[in-house]
Amino acid sequence: MDLLQVIAFGVLLGGVYALLASGVTLIFGVLDVVNVAQGSFLVFSALFTWQIWSLLGLEPLLLVPVMGLLMFVIGWAIYRGLLVRVAPQGPGMTVLLMFGVAIAMEGVLNIVFGNEFKSVTPPYFTSSFKIGEIVIPYPQMISGVLAVVVLGGIYVYLRKSWAGRALRASAQNKDGAALVGISATKASSLAFGIGAMTAGVGGVLLAIMYPVYPATQYDWIARLLGIIVLGGMGSIPGAIIASMLLGISESIASAYVPQWAPVFFYGAILVILLFRPHGLLGEKTREDVAA
Amino acid sequence: MIAALKRPSGFLPVILIGLLILYPILASDTRYEESVLIICMLYAIMASGWNLISGLAGYVSLGHSVYLYMGMYTGAILGKAWEIDAMWLAPLGAVTAGLLALVVGLIVLRTRSHSFVIITIAVLLLGMLVAANWRGLTGGSDGFIVKQPSWAKDNPTTPYYYIFLGILLLTVALSAFIMRSRLGAGLVAIRNDEGKAASIGINTTLYKVTAYTLSAVPFGFAGAVYGQFLGFVTPSLVVAILMSVFLVLAALVGGRGTLWGPVIGGFLVWLLNEVGTIAAGEFRARLLIMGVVLILVVMFMPMGLLPTIRNFVKKRRESKSAVNFIDQKSIAAVSDVDISKIIARTRQQSEGSSHILEVKGIVKRFGGVTAVNDVDMAIERGSITGLIGPNGSGKTTLFNCMTGTFRPDEGVVLLDGENITRDRVWTRAHDGLGRTFQITRLFKSMTVLDNLVAPLETTSVRQMVAGRYSGDEVERAREVLDFMGLAQFEKQDAAALSFGQQKLVELAQVLMLRPGIILLDEPASGINPTLIEKLATVIRRLNDAGTTVLIVEHNIPLVLSLCDTVHVLSGGEVLTSGTPDQIRNDPQVIEAYLGPDHMVGVGNE
Repeated sequence: MDLLQVIAFGVLLGGVYALLASGVTLIFGVLDVVNVAQGSFLVFSALFTWQIWSLLGLEPLLLVPVMGLLMFVIGWAIYRGLLVRVAPQGPGMTVLLMFGVAIAMEGVLNIVFGNEFKSVTPPYFTSSFKIGEIVIPYPQMISGVLAVVVLGGIYVYLRKSWAGRALRASAQNKDGAALVGISATKASSLAFGIGAMTAGVGGVLLAIMYPVYPATQYDWIARLLGIIVLGGMGSIPGAIIASMLLGISESIASAYVPQWAPVFFYGAILVILLFRPHGLLGEKTREDVAA
Repeated sequence: MIAALKRPSGFLPVILIGLLILYPILASDTRYEESVLIICMLYAIMASGWNLISGLAGYVSLGHSVYLYMGMYTGAILGKAWEIDAMWLAPLGAVTAGLLALVVGLIVLRTRSHSFVIITIAVLLLGMLVAANWRGLTGGSDGFIVKQPSWAKDNPTTPYYYIFLGILLLTVALSAFIMRSRLGAGLVAIRNDEGKAASIGINTTLYKVTAYTLSAVPFGFAGAVYGQFLGFVTPSLVVAILMSVFLVLAALVGGRGTLWGPVIGGFLVWLLNEVGTIAAGEFRARLLIMGVVLILVVMFMPMGLLPTIRNFVKKRRESKSAVNFIDQKSIAAVSDVDISKIIARTRQQSEGSSHILEVKGIVKRFGGVTAVNDVDMAIERGSITGLIGPNGSGKTTLFNCMTGTFRPDEGVVLLDGENITRDRVWTRAHDGLGRTFQITRLFKSMTVLDNLVAPLETTSVRQMVAGRYSGDEVERAREVLDFMGLAQFEKQDAAALSFGQQKLVELAQVLMLRPGIILLDEPASGINPTLIEKLATVIRRLNDAGTTVLIVEHNIPLVLSLCDTVHVLSGGEVLTSGTPDQIRNDPQVIEAYLGPDHMVGVGNE
């Protein structure tokens, strides 16, 4: 395959990763929670999309706002119902809680959908178009562009709206934010909701790109968490850069050494952490220095 | 906490182990029961291993089953190559698993970042991917048949049953040894407050990496035997992840951080799972049930069974015993025992320079703000030196550069004439630089005495394996507590003390390092005048005994009455330095604090 072609694939894939990983990194930044359930949210959304598509034959992309909203509500409810009680016990216990959520969700999906691959195949599934020599399949194109649009929307929301500023304030200093009237619970449930929403949107995009079954959540957890470690925990620009790196390197590796593509990525993370323990754009916090 | 760890050698474990030993002898036709109990023991072993890093040190790992696979593959591959039974390679499995953990630990445990838990998942995935793809070595996803020894044909369970029981006992012995050692005490300190642990001389990186490496050892050992027991090794990611869920659940249910909790949890979780499988018979539902159980345990019984029961018993006992009223007089008093022996360093301090601590050209910027701009300062050996300045003048930043909390952008920090600018926090503690915190950071779940024996004057392997109460630390801790009039609090949890008392205990803790210089971060803030007076007396006594003291403080009268030399910072630079009298009358100082309008009418205090 032509290298340019491979890179184009990688960039589109990287866009999808960026959307999903920014959700995880937002949750970590505001709540100090490592959301290991993001992969199961994603697969949940993808399988739900498949179900509606196969029942109604609806254009799957119409489900983007629906699944986004649904996952927002589910994420909000998980925060209010479960996380808020465990949060005071620190990140060690919240990660175990989210691990429990991920396993339980996979169990539900297993019972409902069974343990086999499902894929959504709209009419444009196999069509593609050409820019110069580069062939780009429609699903990849749509997913990549849509992911970037949603990500841009979230970014503008965080920058410009009052709620976004409240979130960023809360991420930096919870006590300080509380003093000026920002409820930590409200900010946190909003952040968790938005984080889950990215998985809702991503799930629809995932469904038209790849076949999905419940256990694929592990591939996604590992990829997304790998991205945020590489980018620097809590850094959205870092997550975006790392997503592009993963997308492109995965695309190159799967063109030449398909079996070893994921190994290559995780290996690279370990090597990079060796030289930059806090990731590419991660900041050393006061506590880190003290240790 | 420590009392609880010392007690587990009660009757109950002995009886249970006795029953486990006798079970195959007394009961007949127990092949199925034995094979279930083998898996129970396997989970007890794994949960105990996991407990060393995730329970003691609080670093949660979700991918520990990769070390079991490491042992399984080591036994299977080398056993085939060398034509011996895989289980004889168990020690080698322990080594390979330990080595893998060492490499991973060295990469991710150098910082306090939460990336640890993520990397553990990634390592599990990576391991399974390598196993599935490296066909030449591992047989790929088809797996690897492990040859059964001839004795297993007659009875494929009982010998394994006793081998796993043996491994379990070895693992518990390893855990008990670590929990009673300084390594164990240090790990608990790290779980409580890692930054603080470093400041009292605990080499946190070394401790964490050691604990992580050791935690993988039982996995690797058991893995080689387990592979042979199963008869095959296949890289199944789902199985590996489920295994991680089970073992984490086992440790949580039983009680992380305790000796027997993970063992009990291992049996409970697997027996329940077995009952569930018989009752429901459906694998798919099992995933859901395990997830829900994990959620429920985290939410409603986060401490686990053993600690919950222990707390209950402890509370009942405490409610029966009489309440001790605190003797206020003795708290206010400072005993007049000779402290020079308690706090004097046994090793020779270099006397090369008359300045014990010196900073040269320190610059520290935060983004666009230069908090400290080219500061030179020298602390005279044997002095009490004050560092004052208005809010935002850079005192705390300078202080943090000295203690190692921040690394300065430019300039050097010299301790006893040696450059320590790039030294880690614990190295500075070893070299005789002790510090307290403005908001106290004692290990709240430990008693006052345990807080005092936690500091380490050096880092060495011999010390890590020594018992946590060995040496003369306990005796010295009691002397220090006596000196400061805190003896009555010895057995109290640090969290039970008032803020002022905690400040005194934290100072006592630092004295255990026998520091040449103590840096006090706003020692008088937030405590009552009686204790401030006592604090001043303690500082003077320490100074008389040869300890240099540097105080950062807003209480100007205290600083001026106590110090030999006072440095005034303003706008990130040294405004002036001098004796208290010079400072008191320096118009620049008054201006820096109050602004030019207030200069008239401010006299001597």
